[in-house]
Amino acid sequence: MTDIKDKKPILQLVGVRKTFNDFAAVEKIDLDIFEGEFFTIVGPSGSGKTTMLRMLAGMEAPSEGNITLHGERINDVPANKRPTCLVFQSLALFPHMSVGQNIEFPLKIKGVDAATRKARALELMAIVRLPASYYGKNVMKCSGGERQRVALARALAYDPEVLFFDEPLSAIDYKLKKILEKELKDLHRETGKTFIYITHSLEEAMVMSDRIGVMRAGRLIQVGTPEEIYAAPVDRFVSEFVGEVNVIELKREGEGWRGVNLPGAFRAAPPKDAPQADSTFVVVRPEFMRFLNDGEEADNTLEGVVYNEYSLGSRIQYQVRVGDKVMLVELSRSNALPAAANRNVRLGWDVRDAISVKA
Amino acid sequence: MEQDKLRTRVFIALWSAFVVLLVYLPLACVALASVSKGRYFAFPIRAFSWEWWEKTTDSIEISMIVENSLLVAAVVTVFSVVIAFFGALAFARYDWKGRKLYQKLILLPVFFPQPVLGLALLLAYSALGITTSWMTAVFAHMVWIVPVVTLVIAIKVYGFDPSLEEAAFDLGASRVEVMTNVTLPLLWPGIWSGALFAFLLSWGNFPLSLYTAGADSTVPKWLYAKMVAGYSPMVPALGTMATLAAAAVLLGGALLGAIVKKARAA
Ligand SMILES: Nc1ncnc2c1ncn2[C@@H]1O[C@H](COP(=O)(O)OP(=O)(O)O)[C@@H](O)[C@H]1O
Ligand SMILES: [Mg+2]
Repeated sequence: MTDIKDKKPILQLVGVRKTFNDFAAVEKIDLDIFEGEFFTIVGPSGSGKTTMLRMLAGMEAPSEGNITLHGERINDVPANKRPTCLVFQSLALFPHMSVGQNIEFPLKIKGVDAATRKARALELMAIVRLPASYYGKNVMKCSGGERQRVALARALAYDPEVLFFDEPLSAIDYKLKKILEKELKDLHRETGKTFIYITHSLEEAMVMSDRIGVMRAGRLIQVGTPEEIYAAPVDRFVSEFVGEVNVIELKREGEGWRGVNLPGAFRAAPPKDAPQADSTFVVVRPEFMRFLNDGEEADNTLEGVVYNEYSLGSRIQYQVRVGDKVMLVELSRSNALPAAANRNVRLGWDVRDAISVKA
Repeated sequence: MEQDKLRTRVFIALWSAFVVLLVYLPLACVALASVSKGRYFAFPIRAFSWEWWEKTTDSIEISMIVENSLLVAAVVTVFSVVIAFFGALAFARYDWKGRKLYQKLILLPVFFPQPVLGLALLLAYSALGITTSWMTAVFAHMVWIVPVVTLVIAIKVYGFDPSLEEAAFDLGASRVEVMTNVTLPLLWPGIWSGALFAFLLSWGNFPLSLYTAGADSTVPKWLYAKMVAGYSPMVPALGTMATLAAAAVLLGGALLGAIVKKARAA
């Protein structure tokens, strides 16, 4: 979705803050969510993701700031009066109801008659790929993946404008998770609704989202498309969150930079947001690190010993000990380093492949 | 090895049988006493007869006493369950200032010696100028039974995932609809056990009734009075009937609960 900026914001947060006693779980968040986008909030456990979602869903009131929906302030509108629906981490399926009764619950509350309810439930079950024979099945007898689908169908039955998801796939095994991620993405496209999704796995966020917001300790530290986050993380935390990276700490020395706990002088671009800083972190992805042949040069070089190699499927990761640090190098299998074990190597990377972030 | 295991199993079986016998033998004695023809219980029993059972069921005095006991137990059950239900939510669910203190205070009456509790209530009633009757006994029973029922229901509340209520609310239900569609159906088994507890504890309670029922007699009160003066085999007969009735309520209640559960699961 490249035209996301042309879209109208559906939900807006202005200076939203949430404190529990004196502890700020969410700090001054400003954010626009656009109509129809798939927005993912990532961050480690305890960073305030759930609290933020609960405020958007109406289960928690902000301590400060405003939340608006279509431009109208909704701070005090309770959850049952908002056109939004949350799929809980626990899914919160009603254990005393069948699959069909769970899905029909919001319709029953709205006063829809039994025949219409059942027809709609069966429609929704087809959409989330549940066999119609599950209609009368006890939800507690469904598998993990089936329960996900029931929860999704129940949320869709409410017909919300915005759907929230709080780590719904965290307890699902890898293979099924991949399938469900894809289905969720398809469902987003088919329904055209706004999805706001929480996860602590950036990998999951990268696959599904139009935009990602990275949270840390209650703050939203970066918002951008998956490409933006990957290519230009704002700081060391985000870059490490994005995946396994080499983080090299440098101190300014005259015109150049000197490695901290690494021998040698280095060439590096100054960090964008603090060009005068005395120190910087340089982030180099393992795929941008390379082994240098004799006589081959790079902007920066290091000498070390390979002490481990891992297969990552089509790629191989080498762990190279440099002084007391470990550097990661990733090569495609066809470029594998022969007789790698305990081999003395020269590593190199170029300034344009490294991201300088403030210390 | 095998030999050892067998020996352990035999020992466990014998020991359990011994404990069960220890608990039920006195009850069996009472039952036997009620069907012996003689006025005084002596072993071995010379002749059996239902004479005292018939006399008991025919007695107008006893039917009044049973009515009193049933009335007290029924009223205690209704009030206790309502109070304990909301009390259990406050006990186990909501976090509020003073909850810890409330949890301790509500539990305390269970451990009061009941005669002391009864005496205290009697003194309070007379200080307030209230004439004691089955109604004051209802209140006395509740002081002791509400905490027990609160605990029984609270156990169920602890196992209840509050996000179920939030989910229902989020899906458009009002507070009342959340209560009737989600909270009550899920806590129902706890409420049902709580009601059985309330009924049976009230039905069998002696010390509180002795002090606070005034001129109204209940089954345990009558049994005691007749033991002290005017013993006849009607005492063990009524005792046996009261025990069997309690067992029937317990079994019937459990059975009904299981049937409802099964019907819902299907
Ligand atoms: N109801 C609450 N009372 C007190 N502290 C809370 C409450 N809810 C969340 N917190 C605290 O707020 C912080 C953020 O929690 P949460 O939003 O659940 O994080 P996340 O979902 O990112 O793991 C945590 O430190 C948590 O302990
Ligand atoms: Mg969370």
